[in-house]
This record gives sequence, C-alpha cells and structure tokens, in this order.
Amino acid sequence: MKLSRRTKATATVAGVAALAMLATGCSADGGSAASGDEDITLTITTFGTFGYDDLYAEYEELHPNITIKPTNIDTGGNARTDAFTKLAAGSGLSDIVAVEEGWLGAIMEVSDRFVDLNDYGAQDIKDRWLDWKFEQGTDPDGRVIGYGTDIGPTGLCYNGKLFEEAGLPSDRDEVAELFGGDDASWDTYFKLGAEYTEKTGKAWYDHSGFVWNSMVNQMDEGYYTSDGELNIKGNTEMRDRFNQLAEATLNGQSAAQTAWDWGGGKAFVDGSFATFVCPGWMLGTIKGQLEAGGGDASTGWDFADVFPGGPVNWGGSFLSIPTTSEHVEAAAELAAWLTDPEQQVKQSKAAGNFPSTIKAEEKLAEEATPNELFNDAPTGAILAERAKGVKAQFKGPDDSVIQENVFGPALNLLDQQEATADEAWQKALDLLQDLVIDN
Amino acid sequence: MTATLSPGTSTPPRSSTPRTPSRSERRRHWLSRVDVKASPYAYVAPFFILFGLVGLFPLVYTFVVSLFDWDLLKGQGDFVGLANFASILQDEYFWNSLFNTFSIFLLSAIPQLVAATFIAAILDQNIRSKTFWRMSVLLPYVVTPAAVALIFSNMFSEDYGLINNMLQNFNLDAIGWKTDTLPSHIAIATMVNWRWTGYNALILLAAMQSVPRDVHESAALDGAGALRRFFSITLPSIRPTMVFVIITATIGGLQIFVEPRMFDAATAGGSQRQFQTTVLYLWEMAFFRQNFGKASAIAWLLFLIIVGIGLINFMLSKSIATAETKVSRSRRHRRLARYRQGQATASAPSARGAQSASENHGTHSSDRTKEVPR
Repeated sequence: MKLSRRTKATATVAGVAALAMLATGCSADGGSAASGDEDITLTITTFGTFGYDDLYAEYEELHPNITIKPTNIDTGGNARTDAFTKLAAGSGLSDIVAVEEGWLGAIMEVSDRFVDLNDYGAQDIKDRWLDWKFEQGTDPDGRVIGYGTDIGPTGLCYNGKLFEEAGLPSDRDEVAELFGGDDASWDTYFKLGAEYTEKTGKAWYDHSGFVWNSMVNQMDEGYYTSDGELNIKGNTEMRDRFNQLAEATLNGQSAAQTAWDWGGGKAFVDGSFATFVCPGWMLGTIKGQLEAGGGDASTGWDFADVFPGGPVNWGGSFLSIPTTSEHVEAAAELAAWLTDPEQQVKQSKAAGNFPSTIKAEEKLAEEATPNELFNDAPTGAILAERAKGVKAQFKGPDDSVIQENVFGPALNLLDQQEATADEAWQKALDLLQDLVIDN
Repeated sequence: MTATLSPGTSTPPRSSTPRTPSRSERRRHWLSRVDVKASPYAYVAPFFILFGLVGLFPLVYTFVVSLFDWDLLKGQGDFVGLANFASILQDEYFWNSLFNTFSIFLLSAIPQLVAATFIAAILDQNIRSKTFWRMSVLLPYVVTPAAVALIFSNMFSEDYGLINNMLQNFNLDAIGWKTDTLPSHIAIATMVNWRWTGYNALILLAAMQSVPRDVHESAALDGAGALRRFFSITLPSIRPTMVFVIITATIGGLQIFVEPRMFDAATAGGSQRQFQTTVLYLWEMAFFRQNFGKASAIAWLLFLIIVGIGLINFMLSKSIATAETKVSRSRRHRRLARYRQGQATASAPSARGAQSASENHGTHSSDRTKEVPR
C-alpha cells in the first residue's frame, strides 16, 4: 500500500509536468532532400472543406514517385491550434500547411519559420493571383510565405421555402432586389429580419457571431488599423454596427445557435433561421451540415447575389511550407500546382469555395455551373460577382483571438438575451483588456 | 534485464580461461563487490531515469518558463520573476476555473465513490456469471474520453439533445446544459462518472474480496444483518483502498480536460467560461492566447494545489492507519486482560457464566472478543 501510494505521488508529479510539456512532442519524418525520381512522401494539412482529395490522386498519378499523405482538421480554429502547437514545438508540421487569413497575422510574426517561395519561382507565377491576395501572403521583408488558395467573397444564403412561407419573394434575383441590390445595407437586412421574425416567430440568422464577422470584415480597417494598432475602443463606426446587430439580436432575430455545431446540422434543416452569411467556403460547410442534419436540395437553401453593406471578403487560405519540411522543393511544386487556376476550378467545384486566381474566377463566372444543393444557383458565377470591389483588410496578430474570445462571448450574451447592447460592448472591451492588451 | 540494463555490472562470461588465477580471482571479487553495491541502483535506475526525463525535467523547465515572458511562437522574452504568478493569482478567470474544477470534481467524485462501493458490494455477493458482470462494469472505461464526450455532448445538446427532448415530452422546461453553470457541471460530471465508476468499483471489489470470509460468517452467525456487516466489517476493512481510490479520483478530477474541452468544441469551456476547468484555462492561455509564461505559472499553481490536496489525503490516510493500530492494540490489551482474569479465576465460574467460560477458555476467536463488555 505504502509503495503504491508513493508511486502514485510521483505519477502525479510526472502527470502535471507532462501536461505542461504538451508542446514538446516529437515526430520526425525520415527521408532526404527532394530530387529527381526518388520516392517522396509529402504531408499536407488542411481544414474544413478544402476539396483537395481528387487533386491529390491526380497529382500522384502525374508524379508516380510522390505519395501524398493528407490530414484534414475539422475547423479552422482547431487547425490554428494544431499549427501553433507544432510551430512552438519546432517539429511536427506537415510539408504543406494551410493557413487561414484570420490567423495569418500571427503567422506573419514568425514568417521566418516558413520558406520564402521566391526561391521556388513565386515571382514567375505571381500574376495568377489577385494582387491583394498575393500581397497578403508576402511578409514585410518581401518574403512570399504562402500561395493563395481561395478567397472569401460573401453572398447571402437564404432559405427560399421559409421566405415563401413568410410571404417574401423566393426567386434569387428578386431576393437580391428585395435586399437593395447594389445598395443593400444592414438597415434593410435587419428591417426585413424584424418583419420576418414578427410574422413567423422564427429567427432571421443563425447566431450573431457570423453576422458580426462579416460586418467587421467589411470595414476598411477592422480590429486593427493598417498600421497594426488596435482599433476597437472609440471606433464609432464599429460601435454603430454593434448596436445595430445588438438591437436585432435582442429582438429575437438570432437563433442563438452554436457555430460549427448547429445542432449537428439540424438547425439548417428544421427552419430555425432563414438567412445565413455565406463566404464562398461556407457553401461547403453548409453542404456538410445539410448532409449531417438529414437535409438536401429540397430543404430550400439558395444563394443570392447580394450582400448587406456591399462587398466583403471573409476568410480565404494560403498554402505555406514550414522550414522544417524535408522536401521543400517537392512541396513547393505541389503547392504551386494545387493553386494553379486549373486546379482551383476543380477545387471550387468540389468544395464550393471561390478561387483566388484571376483565370479560375473568369472560368467560374463563364461556366456558371448550377449548384444542385442551392436550388441550382450558379454559385461560382455569383461569387465572381460578389468578389468585385473586394479589398483585403489588414489582419493583426491577435485578430482571431479578438474574433473568437473577445467578441464571441460578448455576442453570445446578446444571443442568450442576457445583456443590453451597452453591457455587451463593455464586456467585449473588458475581455479585450484582459486577453489582448494585458496578456 | 540485468544484461541489457547494466552490462558493466553483470557477471563476466565464464568462458574466458583464467591464465592468472589470482588476478582473475581478484577481479571476480571486485566485480561481485560492485555487483552488490551498484547493481541495486542499476535495477531501479530505469524508473528514475524515465522519471527525471519526463517528470522532473519538464517540471523544472516549466518553472523556468513561468519566470519569463514567453510567447508560444516567438519564444523566450524578458525575465519577469514571479510576475506571471502574481497576475494569475489576480486573474478572475483563474479563480473561476478553480471553482469549476472543484465543483465538477465534487459532483463527480462523491456520487462516483458511493455508486462504485455499492456496485462492488453487489459484485462481492455470490451472483451468477460473476466474470460477466465484472467485465461489464469495466466496459465504459475502455471507451476513449473523446468518444464519451462526443456522445454525451450530443445527448446534452440544448436544442436537439436527447435529454432535453425527453424533458420537453414530459412538459418540463429544457435545461441549459451548455449555457448554465450548474447544469453544465452536472453534465460533465455525468461523463466522468459514467467512465470511472466501474473502474473504481473493480478496485474496491478486489479489496472487498480480501476481507476474510470467516469474519463475515461469524458475524452472520451472531445475527448481524447484511447492512450491519457491510458498514461494520466491509467498509472499515477496505479503508486503505478507499483512500487510494479517493486520491486517484482527486488527481484525475483536478486535471480534467477532455470532457469539458469536447463538451463544447467551439469554445474553451463554454461561451462565458461556465465550465472552463483549470487545465482548460491553461490550454487557452498557452495555445490560444499564446502566453506560455502565464500558462506555465498556471501549471505550477495547479501542481501545488494537487500536491497540497495529496498531502491532506496522505495525512488523513495516515491517521486512519494509526487509528486502526490503536484499535487493534487496545483489543489485544483487553483480550490479554480477559485471559489473565480467566486464568486467575480458573476454578471459579467466570463473570460471563459457566457456558461461555468453558467455551472461550484461553482461545477466543477474534469475533467473539467483540462481544466482551467494553
């Protein structure tokens, strides 16, 4: 008994310490530098719905000596934790890592941990991308650390059936008109929401967090000024938007759903809410949610070429190669191939997201392939339309913390009807102070 | 084992033919002395080397990190002394996480131990297909915590979960399992209980099995009911094991992470930190807020808390143990006194009457001594 108690005590010590050591996991891939025809295994980590599976197979067929080992992480947030943990540990990162725009700011602070793609022909293929997308992937020293995959032009997803039931038009052109077409504003959006909620007793949007994200991404400068200064306290434009959203939410326009869960997709099927903010990549998310929740094309979701407050970019990703990769050359080749316009078109068809290269966008706009799940809406062409006038917003190092941990809880208070607009804003400021400024 | 772990100290191969007997003898003598003195250390070395590597070093290193500004990605910054500890001790979220941890711990440990003891007591009876039942209670333990958390968090889902659906069928209000503090703690404690009750029951069962059967039998002969026997014989006899189970439950309970993490995958312990445990806060600090210095400080504070509780447990179990020896010693004294008294009044009838005196003369069975007037 005595002995086992002692062992237990030591085990405790070891246990706590091991926990603190979480970060220092080790893993190493055997292998040598890339060259010619030798067999190479490339690892790649993506997240959410990336739509790369068929492309991997195609690439392996084109390059018999290359085997691709993909890992896909469920959400961008978890991918961020995964990447940061491995960066901190100094090992374990894949040869290619997908980086999301929201945490690109933090990655930029340690951009020297990633390969400068200029050494692998980045300048030669630079013209593929929209200028601002290529700029985003370039650090202040001019090192290119990421090839753009997709961008996040945002349109409005709406449920045609629910619209009809509420006496609203359900045709996507009429819906675009209803929201104000090119002059669509948040005022109109929330006014329509108030009418809808009053008439049906149901919510207008799923939860306030996503609406807020698109509202902030729409501003010229978001949580940070372009110089990298925090831009929240005393930001009247942001505050006005917050009040607007708070008022609507407190009036019952929010379904108070949990993001990335949505009741296992059921909330998309049972008519809990009628509209949803839809960056290109979100279409893939909705597809997954509908499948999980037992819905299909008949559920009634549609995609309109309109967005309150004008064009906005929300999200979009990059492929980066960490310096720890042992096959940098082969990885760079694969990353360049995956972001080639031709492949981006295929990716877009698989995942519904919107490409970041000019030719791919033109192709999608031209083809206007109907998307079955969205009532045959030509989602690619609509997104190409929504991408016009989109500008990239500067993302600071703590952008994702502010989005998730500062405004997330504050907006949740509104969703739960537990705070007034002022209290929720104050909550956000307090959290900002604790989590970001005093961190 | 010896050969692989301490090749230098193992006995030399005998095949080498000794040319100079005296030297080889001396060498053998020396080797055997080394064997006696050093080998024991070599035998225990693997544990200590391993412990030093994965236990002690990280512990010390974590402390070093906690003294610095240390960013997850950018690495070591300025030396700040104990500032990280000071700021954590003033951090309301830290105290909130401690409250949550203890609340979940109490909600899980107490029902768990009661249920485990109860189950063990049932399994201790002569029931049919014993092994089957014993294996069944261990089954939940086989399931990984992540899977448990996924299933339970689905069941406890507020809008679409099984439990709230059932409540609403009975016209009861839905419960905010993920938004209200106490319900969320209960939900998480349920996961823990589901997984660990069987495990603890088996350990307690093993202890119960080692309680001598004859004690039970004689108590039964003396008319003690099952309940009485359980409380007066079984429970006192398994006390040391109970202490062990409590200690492991405490350690596990204070380090709870997976269940609250997976209960709401989008946030680190609830949108308003309703069920953010200390380890979860540590995780948020390290990998979300990227402040490794403060995270290390939290790790150390948690370590100290666990050590503190471990010490309390230790002293508690020690006092129980000494109480036991005291009891048995006084029992022996009483027995001895009675024996002597019996000797002295061998010819005269004993105070307890002729029958008992003749029966118990000198050779009392242990249970009978209990009947002696106190």
